[in-house]
Amino acid sequence: MIPVFLWVLATIDSAFIGYREAGGRNALIDKRAYYRHALIRGAVVGQVAVLIVGATTAIILASSNDSVALFSKLESVGARMLTVYVPYAVILLITFLIRSVPSVDIRSITSTVIFGPFTLIRPIVVLAGAVWGVLAAPGAITIALTTLIVCLMLGLSGILSWLRSRRLIS
Amino acid sequence: MSLATITRHGPEISDAIVSFDPVTLQRKPVKKADVLAQFRELRNHEAVKIVEQMPEQNGVLDPAVVDKILITSHCEMQRMSEEFQHGKRVSELLKPILNALREGGVNNPIRIVDIGCGTGFVIRWLAASGSLGDDVQLMGVDFNVALLNEAQRLATIENLRCKFEVANAFRLDEPATVFISTGILHHFRDEGLSYLLQQHCRAETCAFVHFDFHSSPMAPLGSWLFHAVRMREPLAKHDGVLSAVRAHKSRYLLEVTRSAAPEFVSAIYGTRLWRMPIPRVFHSLVGVRPKYHEAFLRNMGTRVASLGKIE
Repeated sequence: MIPVFLWVLATIDSAFIGYREAGGRNALIDKRAYYRHALIRGAVVGQVAVLIVGATTAIILASSNDSVALFSKLESVGARMLTVYVPYAVILLITFLIRSVPSVDIRSITSTVIFGPFTLIRPIVVLAGAVWGVLAAPGAITIALTTLIVCLMLGLSGILSWLRSRRLIS
Repeated sequence: MSLATITRHGPEISDAIVSFDPVTLQRKPVKKADVLAQFRELRNHEAVKIVEQMPEQNGVLDPAVVDKILITSHCEMQRMSEEFQHGKRVSELLKPILNALREGGVNNPIRIVDIGCGTGFVIRWLAASGSLGDDVQLMGVDFNVALLNEAQRLATIENLRCKFEVANAFRLDEPATVFISTGILHHFRDEGLSYLLQQHCRAETCAFVHFDFHSSPMAPLGSWLFHAVRMREPLAKHDGVLSAVRAHKSRYLLEVTRSAAPEFVSAIYGTRLWRMPIPRVFHSLVGVRPKYHEAFLRNMGTRVASLGKIE
């Protein structure tokens, strides 16, 4: 279940990366379709990142002498990462629920108190989750895999911006 | 952009890199060296760095590049306005005012003019929402042709019932019934602010609503945070934070308004949230002619709790 939870979180996170990357680039008033595409694009690019991590993990496991033990190690790392990422995600999801209240003031305050600060601290949360996870089973493989995950999580926005600068997305 | 911007004082880069003749509204060339010297004198090294990146032609800042930067910055600002529900916020305050004017028998159509509208987000949002009624004409004015062309282009794409004009808002052929603005007041200091408000005193003008950053100890830090996470354009980041730093205090705004535009009763709306000492991002300077005062208060409903003393 742990890989599934991590995949769900990675997909949601990358969808919102797509949303943020698209923000401030389209000045029309009705941008529902624009943001819908941005969310889907982010999630799709996120799947590429997940595939890279998944393929790397599969190769490492296949070439391991004791793949069962290694898998168990990786699961313990993932479980510890979830203890950091899940509360962060839950707070954001609750905030989205609060934001559904049709009040200008309530919606504004969700931004000032949660969405803005949480966007700012996201890189710290990503790193904290990774470090906390690796501490469950320190070793060259877990450090290397976690580093790859962190790089992809923090680099996804840059990848989308690069694609945009090459006019591969609009 | 760093936290050091919080300690800076004006002007903003966007004020310094464009210049217009106030009478002819013609754009005047801006010498890059003059702008750099101005910011160096203020020891605003971030602004110097940003302006240094702007191309020049014979010592004059390239107007096409400047316009492109300004359009990008306005687009990023619109994202923040959307996040903070600014269109709806304006609409919610305009509705009781417009209803008061209707009850008072104001002439139709009611013309709402957005001063310094930039790419016209507020006017376009109001037009798209259709929330103010069919007897309302929406118009945005600005001195910058490029920004207005962009506003008109966007309005045309979405088939919105509003117009944009390069004009002095106070010298329109069809005068405004209600003036509105967003993030404009802090650009005017002392006599400039007083003069701006004096111009509201014309027979056709019945009310005004000017939104601007709410000056509070937390505002510069909050503004820095949001500009750091939501903006990309260095000019937008720099000026956004500086705007919060330069925001007028509510009391000062009221004093200047009551002295410069005594024909109106005025108040500050939305300084605090839910009657608690929670500072807000924006507050607004509201003025109505005394004739519409009572109806305005009545139409505000529960929102009147967020309205300061009106006099």
